[in-house]
Order: sequence, then C-alpha cells, then structure tokens
Amino acid sequence: MDFSLDPADEAFRDEVRQFLREKLPADIAERSRRGYHPLLADVQAWTRIVYDHGWPGPNWPAEWGGCGWTHLRQFIFEEECALAGAPQLDVASFRMFGPLIMTFGSDALKNRYRDPILRGETCWGQGFSEPNAGSDLGALTTRAVREGDEYVINGRKIWTTNAHVANVLCVLARTNPESRRGFSMIIVDPKAPGVTIRPIIDIGEGHSLNETIFEDVRTPVDNLIGEEGQGWHYAKSLLDNERASSAEIPANKFNLMKLRQMAQRKRGDGTRLIDDPGFAARLARLEIDLQALEFLTLRALTEKAGGTRLPVGSLLKVRGSELFQKTGEMQLEALGDYVSYAYPPPEQSPHGIAAWPPGPAFAPGVVADFMYRRATTIYGGANEVQRQIIARSFLEL
Amino acid sequence: MSSSDAEEALCQIRDQVARLQHRYATPERLKALLDQTVGFDRALWQAAVEQGQPAIAVPEHAGGMGMGWPGLAALMEEVGKAVVSLPLIATPVVAEALLASDDEAPAARYLAPLVSGELIACVAFAEPGQTSPLQRPELACSGDTLNGSKAAAAFAAVADLALVHADADGASQLMLVPLDQPGVTRRTQPGLDNARAHAALQFRDAKAYPLLRGDAAIGKIMARVALATAFEQIGGASACLACARGYALERKAFGQPIGRFQAIKHKLVDMYWRIEIARGCALDALDALEGGNPLWPALAAAARLAAIEAYDFAARENIQTHGAMGVTWEAMPHHYYRRARCLALELGSTQAWREYLLAEAGFDAAAA
Amino acid sequence: MSSASALLEPRTAVPAEDALERYRLDARAWLAEHAPRFSGAVRRGLPLERDVALGRAWQALKAAHGYGAITLPKRYGGGGGTELQKIVFTEEELRYDLPVAYFSISLSNPVPIFLRHAPETFRQRLGPPAIRGEHIWCQLFSEPAAGSDLAALRLRAERQGDGWVLNGQKLWTSWAQIAQWGVIVTRTDPDVPKHAGLTYFFLDMRSPGISVRPIRRLVGHPDLNEVYFDNVYVPDEQRLGEVGGGFRVAIETLMIERYGITDETASSPALEALVELARRARLNGRPALADGEVRAAIARAYVERQGLRSIQKRAMEAIAAGREPGPEGAIRKLLLGRMRQQLGALALDLMGADGIRLDPQGESSRDFAHAWLDPSVRIAGGTDEVLLNTLAERVLGLPQDHRPDKGVPFRQLES
Repeated sequence: MDFSLDPADEAFRDEVRQFLREKLPADIAERSRRGYHPLLADVQAWTRIVYDHGWPGPNWPAEWGGCGWTHLRQFIFEEECALAGAPQLDVASFRMFGPLIMTFGSDALKNRYRDPILRGETCWGQGFSEPNAGSDLGALTTRAVREGDEYVINGRKIWTTNAHVANVLCVLARTNPESRRGFSMIIVDPKAPGVTIRPIIDIGEGHSLNETIFEDVRTPVDNLIGEEGQGWHYAKSLLDNERASSAEIPANKFNLMKLRQMAQRKRGDGTRLIDDPGFAARLARLEIDLQALEFLTLRALTEKAGGTRLPVGSLLKVRGSELFQKTGEMQLEALGDYVSYAYPPPEQSPHGIAAWPPGPAFAPGVVADFMYRRATTIYGGANEVQRQIIARSFLEL
Repeated sequence: MSSSDAEEALCQIRDQVARLQHRYATPERLKALLDQTVGFDRALWQAAVEQGQPAIAVPEHAGGMGMGWPGLAALMEEVGKAVVSLPLIATPVVAEALLASDDEAPAARYLAPLVSGELIACVAFAEPGQTSPLQRPELACSGDTLNGSKAAAAFAAVADLALVHADADGASQLMLVPLDQPGVTRRTQPGLDNARAHAALQFRDAKAYPLLRGDAAIGKIMARVALATAFEQIGGASACLACARGYALERKAFGQPIGRFQAIKHKLVDMYWRIEIARGCALDALDALEGGNPLWPALAAAARLAAIEAYDFAARENIQTHGAMGVTWEAMPHHYYRRARCLALELGSTQAWREYLLAEAGFDAAAA
Repeated sequence: MSSASALLEPRTAVPAEDALERYRLDARAWLAEHAPRFSGAVRRGLPLERDVALGRAWQALKAAHGYGAITLPKRYGGGGGTELQKIVFTEEELRYDLPVAYFSISLSNPVPIFLRHAPETFRQRLGPPAIRGEHIWCQLFSEPAAGSDLAALRLRAERQGDGWVLNGQKLWTSWAQIAQWGVIVTRTDPDVPKHAGLTYFFLDMRSPGISVRPIRRLVGHPDLNEVYFDNVYVPDEQRLGEVGGGFRVAIETLMIERYGITDETASSPALEALVELARRARLNGRPALADGEVRAAIARAYVERQGLRSIQKRAMEAIAAGREPGPEGAIRKLLLGRMRQQLGALALDLMGADGIRLDPQGESSRDFAHAWLDPSVRIAGGTDEVLLNTLAERVLGLPQDHRPDKGVPFRQLES
C-alpha cells in the first residue's frame, strides 16, 4: 500500500493549514497546547467555525450533508487540526450517534438532527453501561415498555459520559425481556420528567461521567432509532466506530510531539532527557508504535470502505489506548520536578481562563491527563475483553 | 533483645498501627486530604505520636525505642498498606545524622523533641531541574549559611526541620535547617498527591547546622531513606493486590466472577511476583544493614527499584481490574496510584537509582 | 568523618559459624579433591555412553561418601541427611561442570517415591543400585494428549492374571534410553472421571514390548524420548498405591522436590558474563555498558536475581527451622525462564552479526546462543501459563478456570 500523498492532497493539506492559521482562535489553541481537555464550549465554537468555512462534517459523506472527503483527506484534516491544537470534533455526534441515525434512523430523525450536529449544537449522552453491565452489555436490565405511542423507561445507567451537559440522551434498553439481546436504541430528552443525573467525579477530579436514573420516563415511539430489537446490532457497530477512533492517531501524535519537546528541554544541570540513550530508545519505540498504528488505521479505513467483517476497531483500540498511557507515563517522567504540581483546569483556575500558572507551558494538564488516561484501556469495552474479541475473530480461537 | 522478643515487638507495632489506621484511614478523611493543597492529617499524626511511632527506630541511648530499621520497616509497611501519609522516616534518619555528627549542639537541641514527636522533620534532597538527588547539589553552603533551593519534598510544608545536602566548596555537606526562620521560603502548590504535604524550599542566607561531609556518607543517608520507603511501597502494592483480588472475586461479568478469567488471574499473579521480588530485595537489604554487610547500599538501591516497579504496576493494574469503577474519585484505587508515583519520584527517579545500584555493584563502564 | 562513618555503618557483623556451614566447608573440600577428575575439560567431546559411564562412576563415588542421595535413608545407601544439607551440597556441586544430569530426575522423584511405596523386598533389591548410579530411573508421565493436564493421559493398563498389560505411548521422557527402571501412570478405568481412573506402577524398562525413540531438540540435548508400550506386562506387586489412586501418587511424586535446587541462571551464563560482554561491545563509539537501555536491562536482571536469592535464602531458613517455606518460591521458575530468554537475546544483540554463530560444542550455561535457543525452562515441568494459573488459584485463592471435563467419565472425553 502506498501512503505517499499526491499533489492534490498535498495542496489540500496546505489549505487546511492556512485555514487553521487564520481561523483557529488563539485561546482555544493555547488551552490544548497546555494539555487540558477541551472545554465543551471550545468544541462547539470550533465546530461552528469549521461549518461556516464551508466544511460541514469533515468525516461525513456528501449524501449526509457532509464534506464527502476521502478517508485520506479526513485523516489529513484531523492530523493538522490536532497538531495545531484544535479540539477534536465531538466523537459522539460525528462518529457515533450521527452516523447511527443517518444509517438506520427514520427520515424524521435524520431531519431533526442532521443540521444541529453539523453546526456543533448537539451534545449526546451515551446511556449504555449499567452497574452490572459494563464490558458485558448483554447483562443490562433497563426496560422500555411500549404504552400507546410512548415508551416508558425504567432503569439505572452508569458512566453516561456528558449526560449533565447533554441536550440529547441515547439509551440502550430492553424491549424484549425474553431475548438476551432484545434491546432497542431510544432517544430521550435529558430534561424529561423522571430523569435524574448524578455526577461521578473521576480520578483526575474531572466531571464528565454520570449516573443517570430513569423512573417512568416517557419518550415518543418516534424516538426509536431504526427497528425495535436491533439495539444490540446498532450498539456493536457504534462501539466498533468508537474503537476505531480510539486509536486516536491525531491525539497520540500530538502527545508524542509534546513529549519530544519536553525531553528536548535543557534541565537545570544543562543536560537534556533526550540525550539519555535509554530514554531515547523508549521514545523511538513509541514513535515506531505510532507509525505502525497510523498505517493500520489507514488500512482499516480503506478496508472499511471495502467492507471487512473483522473487528479492526478492537485492534486499534487496544494499541491506541496503550500508546496513550505509555506516552503519558513518559511525559510524567519528562516533567521532572514539575510533576508534583497539578494545575486546576482553566475554567476552575483562580487566575481565569486567560491567565496561566508559572512554570513551563507544557507542564499544566499533563498530570490531570495522566490520571484521566487510565480510563482509556477501560472505556468502550476493557482491553481484556477486546483481546478476547481479537482472539475469537482474527485468530479464530 | 532476643530474636523472638524482637519478633513480638514487631507484631505489636503492626497491630497498633493497624488499629490506629482503622480509625483514621477512612475514605472520607483520605479524600479530604487530597482536596487541599497541603493535606496533612494532624489528628492522625498526634495519635501516632502518642503511640511513640517517631521513636521506634531511634536508638535507646538517644531516647528512642531502639528497634532500628527492622522496626521502621514494619511500621512503614503498615503505613503504606493504609495509604496514609506520615513523616516517620525523616525522624530516625535525622537522628542517625545527628548522632553521627561531631557537633553535639544540634543533637542536644533537637534530638529529644524529634523523638517525642514535638517536632516534625523532612528530608529534602531533590533539586529543581535535576533527575538525580544523588549528584552534587547546587544548593550552596558557606559555613552555616545556605543559599539556593530544593524541589518539592514530602512534608516540607508542615515540617520544623529539613535535612538537606549542599555544596560546600566542591564537597557534599549534609545540613539540618530549622525551617521557621526568615531566610526560608516554602512554596506549596496542588500536586499529584496532596496528602504528601509537599513544599519546595528556598533559602536566602538561611542558617543551618552542618552535620556530615562527603558523598559516601550522604549516599548512605539516602539509601536508608530509600530502604524504609521501599517497605512503604511494598505495603501499598500488597494493599493493591488485596483490593484487586477482592474486586475480582465479587464483580461478575459474562456470568462468572471476573477473577475466573485468565486475563485477570494472570494480571494478579504478575502483581504478586513483583511484590515478592521487591519484598525479597528489601528484606535482604535490611539483613545486610543489620548484619554489617558493606554491600547494603547496593541492596537498598535494588530494593528501591523493585519496590517502584511493584507499586507502579500493582496500582495501575488495580485500577484496570476495577474497570470504570477504578477511574472514579469515589473508589480507592487512585489513592494508591497517586502515592505509587509520588514515592517513586520523591527520592529521585528510577534512572538515578539504577545508576547508583550499578555503580555500587561494580558494573560501571569505566571499571576494569 | 571518622566517628560519622562509624555510626552510619551497620552495627554488628557476626559470621554464622554453625553446623551447616561446617557441612558446606567439608563438601567444598571434598569436591575440590574429587570433582576435577569428572568435570569440565575431561568431558569435552565425550560421546553420550562414555559421559554416562563417567557419571555413573561419579555417582558411585558420591554414594560411598554419603553424598549420593543425601536425604534418602541410609539402609538403601542414601546419606540419611537433611533437605538443607542436600541443598548446600548441590549448590557447591553446581560450581563444577559434572555429569550429573542423568541422575537428576532419577534420584529426585522416581527413586524416592519408589522407596516410599514399594514392598520392602523390592526396596532392598533396587534402592542401593539406583543410589550408586548403576540403575537410572525414568518418569513416564506425559503423553501426546496429556502435558500440563496430566490427568488426561490415555495409556491403558488392563488386568491380566496377577498383573496388568500396558498399551499406549508416553512422550518427553527424559533419559528413557539409558534407564533400567521407570515409574508410570496409566489409565485403568475409563468409566470414571479422569482423575479417578489412574493407577501407578514401577516397571523394568527392558520388559518385552517397550520401544524407545529419541526426540531431537533445538540444540544437541539427547535427553528426550517417546516410549511406546505394546502389550507390556507388569506384575501387580509393582503397583504403587491403590488401584485408581494413581493421580495422588503422581502428584506426590512431583511434590517431593519442592525446593529442588536449580541454579539461579536457569543454566544460562551468569549476569556478570553479560556485563563483561557489554563492556567489550561498542555502541556509538562507547562501551555498550554505557548505553541506557543496556544498563536498564542489567539493573532489572540484578534486581530480580537479588529478589530470588532472598526468597531462596528465606525458604532455606524456614526449612532449617522446621517451618513450611512460603509459597513465593514458586515464582522462581517463572522468572528464571523468561530472564534466560531476555538476557540471551540481549547478549546476541551485543555480539552483532557474530551472534548468529552457534558453537556445536557450546553449552547453555556458558554460551548465550545456546541459552537463548532453548526455551524449555518455560515449558518443562508446567508451562508459564499453567504456572500462572496455579499461582492464581493456590496462592491468591482465585477461582479455577472453567473445566468442561470436570466430573465427566473419561470415556466420553476421549472422542
């Protein structure tokens, strides 16, 4: 496979770079350069900027109202954005629920959500996991019972990412109690009576996770995505999408670039960490891993177009999430004595969003990010479970 | 003391400490400590002082209980298990340095209040921008006056005295600095593990007591700190294994306890052997220190490297075993994860201790 | 500085001068006197038969001085000594390159189990020649379909008159080609669950119907064989344990050598040899020993070795004090096997293209290429994976793997 770019794609890359130079707000870029998780407001503002530039849905096909770019161009766009410090477009909107609706949803749902997604106005809460059904989704117990033209939902969801800021929830609920896989995917208004959202604070002291309780929550049957009883199938295809983006090549690339910069800094005693051959060798290994993963992602994207049945996403998820953690561990090492400082996220900073604490610009965010990254080998199906899937599907064990 | 008496005394220490921690090391208290910039549990420290914990390892002729490093090891292992944070290592280390010094004045002034727990000591060797505290310090000392700085050190935010090393005309000099004086500035900032009560120290014409001179003597002081810390790390790693095991037996997925899946079983055994290797190294280093084997600093360095590896691994994989529950603030695994990394960093990096070990073991590139 | 360093140094230094230490010194002196005639250069290039003959002579000499089988009873020619004495002697003996491999299994498992369970007349007849090295015993356990899962074995033994007739195949049998006697586990009842239908015997390896075929390994070890049984008759008086009780005896056999001494490198060159190699090899114009990655690998190996030494020492102290050693001794094989492979690969890396050479006379304990090439430490006596399971279940108390064959009559599993 040849991954070198033809002149047209090179020109496209230049166009993206110019766009970023002109349109990416400096404060957004600065926050991500300092290693913080992007603020929701930043993501939404940036999505709107991309949209207004005439690039709605960079990873969406033209028939969905997207840019209709090739996989390679999508990849170039994401990579340039990440390196410039632009936030990633919302994964839930553009890679999970949007495609799900555009593929399986009714025309009414498509019309309702297409434009808001492209303009960056939706924020989705994913209601899949339950206290006793994490990586084992088949064990979930939330029920949706049809009464007239409404579903009545009862149950308890956990790890519902962004539920507290979401303007739309998507719930996986059991509509057929007889079948182990009798689930349906149903859209719920987070403000509907009977929905209670409680925060779960993560180990980095951040709040993105929630516990969401449904007590006799009513939602119109029009809000069913696709067919009743097909939720298992949809969830699987969607999680596979999530895993494909879990290789997170652009973000991994950005992290590694940052690590390289940190290691090249002159320390107090005049030496540089990068000159330690042991460190350099380990850094080189990460670079090689990244390169391999990047090619694997490109291959997966090409093959996806050709329709492979193998869960490549699992493979990418395992390697990508582990690369994330290894890079984080080495960043911590490279921080030297700045490691013992943590910095509050910008929105909580006493100095305000514009003011920065003392110390090198790369220091803030690294520690919080390091803590947060523990989750990468767990979410979207723990890596142990992904390895089982790989063993079963690729190796036929 | 006969060996069975000593054995019994160690058991008593473990019991006492465990009882104390049952009262104080509650999730609520531990989480509250992380939420402050300087998290220090005064009530727990007072209770530890009432039990005489600062005196355990100090020789009897200096007013201590004379249980030496074996006593300190037993104590720190329990401290590590409960993931509490107490400045118990610095006191006996400072006492050793005071007793070894030719100058009797600082010993006369500080030994008794340190042993009684009235004063808190900290050890601050690492310097800003250096990965190894084992190299020549930049903190400058001229006579009894210090100028320069030390990087964030555990308990420096609450300590009365700091043991530092400084450069005195090209030679390393160990100094004891009273921290409550105008020439000393402490800087605190929220960190990875606020329960360590870290502070960076800045000295401007600060007055201090010179204690010992020479890299070898200072290396041995650090090796003593490293050895006691290794037991704290082993205690923490063992607690992670116990915690992961408990969860693996209780949590069910795909119709069975997750502890029945080999992915989890083998992960837990990988924790187990790392802990046992670390414990083996640490016990041997302790024997060597007690038995007069001159290789003991190398063995202490080996113990530190093994303990860092064991605790890092166990803390990380404990979170992974807990799945999403492991990344919540409410669950306990992240306390160990934070502590594991802090204990690995406070005395200087793995690389620094690896170099110390290889040099002590005679594996230098230059040596014939 | 004088008072300072004195106080910083540890306080006491008491040399441990006890009976065991005297035993060690005696053994060391005895070995220094006799071992050179049987070890090292004397053995270079010897064909198997002559090396075995040399081994038998060495074993006979040891037996005459009470070192032949230190823990076995004196009345059969053993030394009547303690486990600890045996460990001490073996440690000293390992310093030489002696032809002891032929007896390592024989005297560690089959002969001791035989001396525990066989009728007295047999013990008196067969014990002494085994300990003097005239007879070598082999252990016929593994089969093509029964490796780590011993109870899955199929070799059948059927009643005939006063004895049993054996048919089937054993695999991976060490030194079967030079063994006079063997112990064997057979299936006598296929209609009960797999663990319950086994029976244990000892047998004459020259019995009609036994054929031994060598298995060629990666490098020159001539130890392994497959052994075929074609209507081999074994008298019932050669049964060890109850009919149907064979699994218990088999496990007892394997448990005899819980603290079998293996050298701390798993028969690969010592860490010091790697350090020497790294000192001589050049990387970026400097000794490879200055390279961070090489230093990290050496430090890791040093730390692991140190941890294992300590665990071993503590186990010995426990045995000496009459206590059961802790379960942590079981990690030894797991770590040694991996370390041998890792350091072997690193050493070959440091040799560059020279690393591809393989000295036909080489031996794993002195030659990194040989040590790397043969990974059998990670497989023999329970694979790493089975060992991890065993540790998880026995030491950490985690549940057993799903076992679909549990409680099912063996006959139903055979298909």
